[in-house]
Amino acid sequence: MMDLRSVSFRYREDWVIRDLSFRVERGEFIGIVGPNGSGKSTLLKLLYRLIAPQRGKIFIDGIDLGAMSRSEIARKMAVVAQETQLLFPFRVIEVVLMGRSPYLGHLMFESQKDLEIAKKVMAWTEVLPFADRLLDELSGGERKRVLIARALAQEPEIMLLDEPTASLDIHHQIDFLDLIHSLNRERRLTIVMASHDMNLASEFCDRILLLQGGRIHSVGSPQEVITKESIEEVYGCKVWVDENPVSGMPRITLLKKEGR
Amino acid sequence: MTKPKIMGPLNLPDPPKAIPRIVTLGRVLLVSALLGGLLLLVIVFSVLLGSARVDPRRSIEMMLRMLVGFPSGGTETEEAILFSIRFPRVLLAGVVGAGLSVSGAAFQALLRNPLADPYILGVSSGAAVGAISAILMGLGALSLATPLIASLGALLTILAVFYFGRQDGRIHPHTLLLAGVIIGSFLSALIMFFISISPKEELRTIIFWLMGDLSIANYRAIGVIVPYVVLGFVSLYLHARPLNLILSGEEHAVQLGVDVERLKRTCYFSASLITAASVSVCGLIGFVGLIIPHSVRLLLGPDHRLLLPASGLLGASFLVASDTVARTLLAPVELPVGVITAAFGGPFFIYLLKARKVVRTI
Amino acid sequence: MIFGFFLVFLVFGGPNGWASSFTDEVGRRVDLQGPPRRIVSLAPNITEILFRLGLDEEIVGVSLHCNYPEKAKTRPPVGSYIRLDFERILSLRPDLVIATGAGNTREMVKRLEAFGLPVYVVFPKDFDGVLQSILNVGQVVKREKEAAEVVSDMRKRKERIREVTEGLPRPRVFLQVGEAPIVTVGKGSFGNDLIRLAGGENIAGQEKQMYPRIGIEEILKRAPEVILVSSMNPDGDYEKVIREWKRWKTIPAVKRNRVHLIDSDLVDRPAPRIIEGLEQMARLFHPERFKGALQKEQGKVSIAK
Repeated sequence: MMDLRSVSFRYREDWVIRDLSFRVERGEFIGIVGPNGSGKSTLLKLLYRLIAPQRGKIFIDGIDLGAMSRSEIARKMAVVAQETQLLFPFRVIEVVLMGRSPYLGHLMFESQKDLEIAKKVMAWTEVLPFADRLLDELSGGERKRVLIARALAQEPEIMLLDEPTASLDIHHQIDFLDLIHSLNRERRLTIVMASHDMNLASEFCDRILLLQGGRIHSVGSPQEVITKESIEEVYGCKVWVDENPVSGMPRITLLKKEGR
Repeated sequence: MTKPKIMGPLNLPDPPKAIPRIVTLGRVLLVSALLGGLLLLVIVFSVLLGSARVDPRRSIEMMLRMLVGFPSGGTETEEAILFSIRFPRVLLAGVVGAGLSVSGAAFQALLRNPLADPYILGVSSGAAVGAISAILMGLGALSLATPLIASLGALLTILAVFYFGRQDGRIHPHTLLLAGVIIGSFLSALIMFFISISPKEELRTIIFWLMGDLSIANYRAIGVIVPYVVLGFVSLYLHARPLNLILSGEEHAVQLGVDVERLKRTCYFSASLITAASVSVCGLIGFVGLIIPHSVRLLLGPDHRLLLPASGLLGASFLVASDTVARTLLAPVELPVGVITAAFGGPFFIYLLKARKVVRTI
Repeated sequence: MIFGFFLVFLVFGGPNGWASSFTDEVGRRVDLQGPPRRIVSLAPNITEILFRLGLDEEIVGVSLHCNYPEKAKTRPPVGSYIRLDFERILSLRPDLVIATGAGNTREMVKRLEAFGLPVYVVFPKDFDGVLQSILNVGQVVKREKEAAEVVSDMRKRKERIREVTEGLPRPRVFLQVGEAPIVTVGKGSFGNDLIRLAGGENIAGQEKQMYPRIGIEEILKRAPEVILVSSMNPDGDYEKVIREWKRWKTIPAVKRNRVHLIDSDLVDRPAPRIIEGLEQMARLFHPERFKGALQKEQGKVSIAK
């Protein structure tokens, strides 16, 4: 479904993404991990065309991303970002309705159908009770769910998540990922998630992409990618890798430096 | 939730309490009709008031007659007072008040800064330099040339600010703001220089223009600026929904399908056009472009589909009312209208701040 | 600027009788349908001239700063130099508006004309110009005789001063018209003309600006023998200003106690009382010649101790 071919990108002089090729199949839950500066966020931005690669191409269902209009991209893909500015806060229902924007074109006002879709996605993400509240009255976790609802209102086939669990409490993290997981499994939504939390990625992702210095260090199932050797090589610190006793997926434990 | 009463010389009933939760065409039309009615009322009152006494009933009779196309039936003096002095002034105040409020709202969204006002990018300083040059050349504040040269100054400033405010071909709000502030400062220094060398008579005219002078209203000048204000407003309104989207952040807007760079170019230009037109005839009237959008947001929410027309109509009423107070309170002495906008606008805004939740970053 | 001194009489006749066309002092043509019965004055000097010519009820509107004679304060004010209240002017239904070229703007005049009001602009530049303005206004308001009397009286008194001060050495004079910053009178101003006519020498007389700003160092250098402080601000504290001058003990005027207060209405207002200003100045410049007259003093002149 998503096909990256020899993609390279730089902001100024240094290449941030180097000659990266990768495929995502429909319905997959992909995790992108790697240290800060390895290009995780940049890769996501390339995927939704906030920025364009200087070399290589990206294809969605066979169509070059560069040839698609902004609305076309927005109808295929939705992004749940880390932060949203709360300068002049909108109500939850208004925020979710913004997700219908790619379908409105030049129209000024949303239709009854748009309102129905908004209510539906708010029900899925369990934010319907907050519909009338201002966004800044909600907790961090609730706000994230509203952003997911907005993304869902875009009726996307692909959802991109950028550090979705940063600044969330653990129970919110689990709630969030359970929701994403169910969307992936039940609705066949393709998910691409960039995260610094490898254990979470290990639990939920079908495949993981480990980035180092803008290149793919390794790609494959969590068991294939999350190994002591790989982690120590990429991150440069000592770790212990075993299996999560409940799920059996790889689990990383950080080790203190020698002599302490 | 009750809406607070609008302060000012008039006492209005509270608007209806049942407010639907999202912005629909119906709601926009309803609010526009209400605020439009308010504006009409304020206009009529303002034409009735003045430093010379004209019987109110006769005035209304005369106005109604003129409306339907008949001769007014009043004396030459009365006609001159009502239709050559008061009415053009009220009209100008309405247009300028609307223009400044709408462009203020747009700049606040584009720059994502609650302290933004129409003058923040230095457009007004450019207009001022233009107007002062015209005045020093002897063209006077009343001629048609002065607003045109002022507009020229404003346009050149806009171009300069956009030229310096771009980075990698994109408009960055912070860079733009910086460019605007710096260019504005440079132009202010130029203005001070002009003031220091200007002879007595021109100096007075210049000072009054800088403080905002609605007494130079005439139909010709209004006719010149109205098309630009209307054009700018229409252009902004067509982008009202995308403007909502960029409030969350430009990256959010992009992923929602908005061509953000094009949106910014169009909206910055339209808002600057409105500002330039509003400022070119009667100078820099402060405060309106800052507090009216905030007041409307506190009352009606930040959705631009409602915010833009509501700000325009409320801003028009506000400036017309302020100007009427400015010219009648201490007649024949006329206060600068900026004094009244600050004196009434300030406390009203503070009241709104306390009665309602406000912008998070303040 | 044109000194349009000539008056063109064109009698139109017709059912109204007297109708005249005049050319004012800036070259504009002014048409009147009859002798003016409702006159609005836009400046204090004009108001003084009108009252002096014997008009009273005919004066229906004055400017805010018109303070002489007392009766002027009873007329409705229609604005100041800076701003005219057009509504008020219109509501007074004047048949003549008199403006000054030295304060009212061209735009004000244009706007008044646009309302169909005849506007006569006076623009005297020096003492003799004031005399001519009085005569011109006299023509327009049909008080030629009174005007001629006033002007004749003023001419005589001016002549007398000239006779008395002829040949005397001219003291160096500094006339201060602004407190902070210090502003004085230069070429083209009334103050400058009066100083000359009163037998003095204006130390700023070569300055091209009408109201130049001169720094204190320059004043010390030019060492005036007489300093006149003009009371432009009615609430001003002039004792303070005079004390300020006392700091500069090297100035001859300070050393010899010749720092005097003078009423600005008498020396900066181009009206009949300018002759009194002239006389006061002459007395202050050449006190030895006017000894007897000091006792008969009226007006706001105080001798600094």
